[in-house]
Amino acid sequence: MTLVMVVDDDQDLAEMLGIVLNDAGIDVDLVSRGDEALDAFREKAPDLILLDVMLPGIDGVEVCRLIRAQSMVPIIMLTAKGETEDVVRGLEAGADDYIVKPFRHASELVARVRTRLRRTNTDVSGIITIGDLKIDVQAHQLLRAGKQIQLTRLEFDLLVALAREPGRVFTRDALLSEVWGYAHSTDTRLVNVHIQRLRSKIERDPENPEIVITIRGVGYKAGVLVGS
Amino acid sequence: MNRILWKIRNSLAFKVIVSTATISLVVVWVTGSALNSRLADGIKQVNQNSAVIEARSTIFTAEYQLLFAQNENDQQIQKIIDDVVSSATTFTSSENAREVVFLSTPGNTSDKNYETASNALLPSTIPQSLRKNVQASVTPVSQYTQMKYAEVQNIPGFAVGQKITIPNAGEYEMYLVFSLVNEKETLDLISRSLLIASILLLFFITLITWLVVRQVLKPVRNAAQIATEFTAGDFRKRMEVTSQDEISILGHAFNEMAESIEKQIARLENLSRVQQRFVSDVSHELRTPLTTLRMASEVINSSKTSFDTTIARSAELLVAQLDRFEKLLEDLLEISRFDAEVAQLETSDFDIVALAKRCVDDLALVAKQRKTTIYVNSKEPAIFLRADIRRVERILRNLLSNAIDHAEENQINVNIEVSLDDVAVSVRDFGIGLDENSLLRVFDRFWRADPSRARTRGGTGLGLSIALEDARLHNGELEAWGRPGRGAHFVLTLPRKENTSIHSRLISLKPEDFVP
Repeated sequence: MTLVMVVDDDQDLAEMLGIVLNDAGIDVDLVSRGDEALDAFREKAPDLILLDVMLPGIDGVEVCRLIRAQSMVPIIMLTAKGETEDVVRGLEAGADDYIVKPFRHASELVARVRTRLRRTNTDVSGIITIGDLKIDVQAHQLLRAGKQIQLTRLEFDLLVALAREPGRVFTRDALLSEVWGYAHSTDTRLVNVHIQRLRSKIERDPENPEIVITIRGVGYKAGVLVGS
Repeated sequence: MNRILWKIRNSLAFKVIVSTATISLVVVWVTGSALNSRLADGIKQVNQNSAVIEARSTIFTAEYQLLFAQNENDQQIQKIIDDVVSSATTFTSSENAREVVFLSTPGNTSDKNYETASNALLPSTIPQSLRKNVQASVTPVSQYTQMKYAEVQNIPGFAVGQKITIPNAGEYEMYLVFSLVNEKETLDLISRSLLIASILLLFFITLITWLVVRQVLKPVRNAAQIATEFTAGDFRKRMEVTSQDEISILGHAFNEMAESIEKQIARLENLSRVQQRFVSDVSHELRTPLTTLRMASEVINSSKTSFDTTIARSAELLVAQLDRFEKLLEDLLEISRFDAEVAQLETSDFDIVALAKRCVDDLALVAKQRKTTIYVNSKEPAIFLRADIRRVERILRNLLSNAIDHAEENQINVNIEVSLDDVAVSVRDFGIGLDENSLLRVFDRFWRADPSRARTRGGTGLGLSIALEDARLHNGELEAWGRPGRGAHFVLTLPRKENTSIHSRLISLKPEDFVP
């Protein structure tokens, strides 16, 4: 069974999240302090982490950074503020997505969690070659000259989304719906930050990207593609 | 002339220089004339005195010689007179001419005539008034006169005369006439010098004034410059204080004022930070329990079919009111961000036509429930601008919701116009409309056109205020028009580029379809 770790200092909210996720058939492990989160993560090895920003002990953003340093597990930040600064800080620390409290609907939270847990691109088989990168979609592996590059699941999905349709220019909205599963969101920060993170891992020179190319005013497209 | 008046009014330096020059002119004029007349008087007095003394001694010598010639014959007497004349006179009628005149006193019955005048000076040189005074006096009498020669007339002169007795020839008058040509020239020279000196003095006074004024004004101008920059918002500007003079006092005073203003501003900024912090904390503290509440209410609501009707309805109301509560909280937080001036634009390039269509699509269901339809009309299929899409979307949604609320089952028209610099979106409804008083208050917080009118859609009453703030944050404008029973017209105008202002109103506020 899928296990989600909820890190939130508000006991009632954490319990409520537990009830909602349990209803959806997801196991929940509750952690109330930031400084306990890392140990709990190592012990339980959850499939996804729901992480509040304001935490006693260690700040949620810092927890996110620590976990990301040792795992590619999906992380969704729970931000109470919805302020740009917190959102961007969380995303830059490695969070895949964020949800602003209060959520519109409990089902929205569940849907978001499910999207991040789902294996995307299962319809694509074989190996996609993009530049000097080899993407093994099934094995969820990215190789450059035989060496593996570690990507989070979201970054991997983002790259595959771009690479499987060579030449197509993806608007940010299109990426949001394809990778994040948003019906229509206008939050382009989510895309921008993750494109930056992806580039920092796969581009030889992130300042002059060759694999993920920006089309000004429109969006992004995959760069030089050689076969598939 | 107007230019000069303008300069006098507007340039302190020019004003000071003109007034200094004018006052100096008067002072120099008065002192110069006084000096000139004093000098003239002095010189005349000195010349007059020396002339009188000289004349007295000459006349005395003549009297003395004639006294010793009582018994001489006529020729001898004539010789003595000739000697007196020739020794006392100069040879020619030069500038320093000194002439001697012997005139017989009227009533002298002697048949002898010793009347004579040196250098052919005409006897009419001696005025009758002087002659009368001389005849009546025993001491020398003097008077100014005009020296007259046969060929030259009216040389300024000074005549001194006294009665004299010539042996065997009775009473005569002896006159010495001094030419004053030299004196006149001296006086002319003095006035000329004074005039030149005055002009030079005026020139230098003006020049010095200009230099002094410049010296004084330079720091004043600097101070004005710094004050202007300070006013423009550079609160770190301070005046340089290097000296110990009045300007430095001004500088110190200004710097103290600037210091206090800067402190005050820092205090206010701090207050605003505290306020922002508070808002942020309240937001966090309120949102967490609200999230729990919402999730709990949804869990309850999702199983409402198993409740009886009153509990099921209560669950519905709970969910709906929590929605409203959350919306209100969001709007209040947004308003407080505007008030704290911490609201910021997150701009991107987007198509406002597509955005408007999407907003209309999202609200189509609500519109249908209210039996109204929204039509979007744009000549251009796509209009791009750089703005904060979240805020523009919020403005459009607020305008559309407002229109749906008041449309009274009539249609709603959305019109989009564009120019090179600006884009305008208008939302026109044909519902209950607004009267003049309402138009003034339509953007006020929590304001309702008709308090008795039930709010069916559960708006927060902050929508239009936030829309206006959002528009202004973009340097744009949001305006409202309305007539009771004839509908309302809201026009949003936004610049297409960031940090620019709107250049024109692309859609007139009074709708074109309106016929009064």
